[in-house]
Amino acid sequence: MCGIVGYIGRREAAPLIVEGLKKLEYRGYDSFGVATVGKTLELDKHRGRISGNTKSALRLKGKIGIGHTRWATHGIPNDANAHPHLDCSGTIAVVHNGIIENYSELKRQLTARGHTFRSETDTEVVVHLIEEEYGTKKDLLAAVQTVVPKLVGSYALLVIAAKEERMIVARNASPLVIGIGDGENFAASDMTPILEYTERAMFLEDGDIATINASEVKIFNKGKQVSRPLELIDWSLEDVKKGGFTHYMLKEIYEQPQAFYNTIRSVNSDTLPGFVLNPTSITVVACGSSFHAGLIFKYLLEESCRIPVRLEFASEFKYYPPPIEGLVIGITQSGETADTLTALKQAKAHNCRTLAITNILGSSVSRLADTTIFMRAGPEISVAATKSFIAQLAVLMQLVNNISGRMCSDMLLHAHQAIEEILLIDLTDAVAACTGVKDIFYIGRGPFYAVALEGALKMKEISYIHAEGYAAGELKHGPFALLSPETPVIALCTPGETYGVMISNIKEVKARGAPVIAVGSEGDSELPDIVDIFIPIPHTSPSVQVLTSLVVLQLLAYYTAVALGRDVDKPRNLAKSVTVE
Amino acid sequence: MQAVILAAGEGKRVRPLTRGRPKAMIPVANRPIIEYVIEALLKNGIRDIVVVVGYRKEQVTRFLNQLDIPIEVVVQTKQLGTAHALLCAESKIFGDFLLLPGDNYIDPQSIAYIKDIPNAMLVKEHPNPSNFGVVMLEDGCVTQIIEKPEHAPSFMVSTGIYSLKKEFFSKIHGNDITDAISLMIDEGEQIQAIPADDWQDAIFAWDLIKMNRRLLSTLLPAREGTASRQTIIQGAVRIGKGTSIGPNTIITGPVIIGNDCTIGPNCCIMPNTSIGSRVTVEPFTSIGNTLIMDDSMIGSHSLIKDTVLGERCTLADHTSASPVSGLLEIEGCVTRSEFGAVFGDNVKGGSFSLYHNSIIGNNVTIEEQGCLKSRNIPDGSTVM
Repeated sequence: MCGIVGYIGRREAAPLIVEGLKKLEYRGYDSFGVATVGKTLELDKHRGRISGNTKSALRLKGKIGIGHTRWATHGIPNDANAHPHLDCSGTIAVVHNGIIENYSELKRQLTARGHTFRSETDTEVVVHLIEEEYGTKKDLLAAVQTVVPKLVGSYALLVIAAKEERMIVARNASPLVIGIGDGENFAASDMTPILEYTERAMFLEDGDIATINASEVKIFNKGKQVSRPLELIDWSLEDVKKGGFTHYMLKEIYEQPQAFYNTIRSVNSDTLPGFVLNPTSITVVACGSSFHAGLIFKYLLEESCRIPVRLEFASEFKYYPPPIEGLVIGITQSGETADTLTALKQAKAHNCRTLAITNILGSSVSRLADTTIFMRAGPEISVAATKSFIAQLAVLMQLVNNISGRMCSDMLLHAHQAIEEILLIDLTDAVAACTGVKDIFYIGRGPFYAVALEGALKMKEISYIHAEGYAAGELKHGPFALLSPETPVIALCTPGETYGVMISNIKEVKARGAPVIAVGSEGDSELPDIVDIFIPIPHTSPSVQVLTSLVVLQLLAYYTAVALGRDVDKPRNLAKSVTVE
Repeated sequence: MQAVILAAGEGKRVRPLTRGRPKAMIPVANRPIIEYVIEALLKNGIRDIVVVVGYRKEQVTRFLNQLDIPIEVVVQTKQLGTAHALLCAESKIFGDFLLLPGDNYIDPQSIAYIKDIPNAMLVKEHPNPSNFGVVMLEDGCVTQIIEKPEHAPSFMVSTGIYSLKKEFFSKIHGNDITDAISLMIDEGEQIQAIPADDWQDAIFAWDLIKMNRRLLSTLLPAREGTASRQTIIQGAVRIGKGTSIGPNTIITGPVIIGNDCTIGPNCCIMPNTSIGSRVTVEPFTSIGNTLIMDDSMIGSHSLIKDTVLGERCTLADHTSASPVSGLLEIEGCVTRSEFGAVFGDNVKGGSFSLYHNSIIGNNVTIEEQGCLKSRNIPDGSTVM
């Protein structure tokens, strides 16, 4: 998981690339580097965040440049392992996003032929291979075209060389977009670094190799020149700015009512194909938060439509042998999650119809699946998913609504009001109860079990407090041994068929001395008396209470992390989208 | 030139409308008051704008993020007063600047009068000067400011809009701007008083009805939604995207209707009415001189006049809200007023209910056939 950006045109490349890398920081941020071609090839790379040490990078000269912000996969984050990587002579530079799977074999061959490796990365084999071909062919494009078929794995590559007035790019299973400017062109992992300069973009297909100079872009696939459609991107740059909020996460939490409403409005049965509206069975594959969205979907759909839903972690899906039947839904915010892509490919291989739910137009998953529903969350920068999660739920709830005969259109059209309302909540007491502890347990039943899982995930992601979500009934089967006055339990207890049994579960927890923070319905007369802290949410339909209780748990995690002084938007060891398996 | 807009205070006297937003964010003619202030600055070429936020700061910041121009946001953690709020922005100010309240309307021309004169304030005559800082003038200069006097010696009041120099920060002592201005006058500095063309402040919630009328008077007609062929539309009427107007509805401008509303059939929308987005007005209902915010619903056979309706309210059929004169106690002060009703957010009104000169708090439920006259119902109550 890394971010790459390249530029060729009339301006100085280095400042532009550094700015672009800052916008891509959400894709990874343990080291970064920039290379430019002016009179010679110049390079500057460091371990650490871009924000801190850009001075030396900004001094690089030249109007052609490439840059990279890294999230380590092969080799620890240090100066040597940071991209770009150079060949032995120091005249060719490469940045790479993805994984070269056969790199150790290639490395052995190259070392035997006398190449010196400076890093532990898989990427460095690419630049040495290009060096060999470039030495004989004297043509950078031909060199890359010869090298690429030797590589196994995923890659988005940008290649520049001294005395070459062009940039060669190649893509296979990693995101790459080309931005078409006026007398200048761009290449990047996504649109965010480019938006400031142009809104015209081309998305490359797998196996494409393109040669880009200041005025034109030529794309080749398997040696033949091809053309890719030019698309207009209508995100404004305002969309990706933090504005006056202290963190992207808080900004995105407050954008949730709008994201939910926009998404509900954009999904309708007229545009959905029959195999989505009349499925016999459904399999959902997803990772992380998206998996929790899938779990809520499973509860809602099975209850209202009696259609069986199988839910699997995308990363585990391939270990379940066939048969896979019916509709397969892949949920991924970025549209680039490697595991989800692989799972959908496998489903296609078994002749299943596939549906993708993603936030990114032109992402890999939207080109892979038979049909795609876009959530209208807008760009999400914070690593912890908030508004994209709510938008996923909007898509899934609208799907349930359409499959079940549009019984609750009205409820969904007004659900954003309840989310707006819940943003006014004051969580001071609950935050105080969470800041000093080492473990927190979340319990719920039915769809609120999924809410508990998501709430716990948010808490551990950004506050680094160990948090676990359990189905309330499962707590007695083991985790009970962990309860003590130092382990707060957050219970989701709303009116409905689970209410009575949740109350007795809460009493059991209290009897073991653990403090209980309960999220319950406003006006509940019993619950506030038996718990330590009661958080009221508006008394609405259960589906809407799923949404509002989620927002409460997001806010709780956020304010706890802020109180603990964590780096909320960029939690340690995590990256926004996981493009490796 | 720079400008500082103060939008940190709640505006307690406009309760219950300030539960989810500060007064500066209350929509009048479907746009938050602060947007008019920002627009007036932009029309004068002032693009370097700092907004001080505090109460419900996330809601303000989210709104500022949607604007086309970048706006700097600074946070006042505790709302201690206007001068304290200004001090929060001190590090962002480099020279002469304008200081404006975010919760008052001001026309662009008045800003043009003041922007090139350092040490000046905009003043305006007001029929109820006791609610403001009353200014005494001599040769166009301020000689004294009396903050909220019981018996005002003059009708001329301060609008809270100042043109100041960077040195003003050194004069600040105490928590209010007027203290600092008084100190400057005592030290012999001249503060010019410049009359404003049009300035509007809503002291109490019902004053928003008048402000709404004033801001609608310059409305330009536009139609993006769909209206039935049997609809009669007269005067300046603006209808947003996705809104549908049913047959035999009569709309007489100035009227603004937001996006995705459903109005009618057989409704009557009379002049000086603002309707937000996603509002439903059921058949045979008449609305006039009223401000309705987003996501509300008004049942059939209702009469709504001189009323402010918050977000997410549901008024059942046969609701009647019409103006009578009466006395109300607001923030410990008894005030005479004449209006229909002010509803907070998320009010559920039962059918056949009557409202006269009443304020209904947030999340209030009124059961069927309720009758409220000159009442102030606190948040969260149920009226039997």
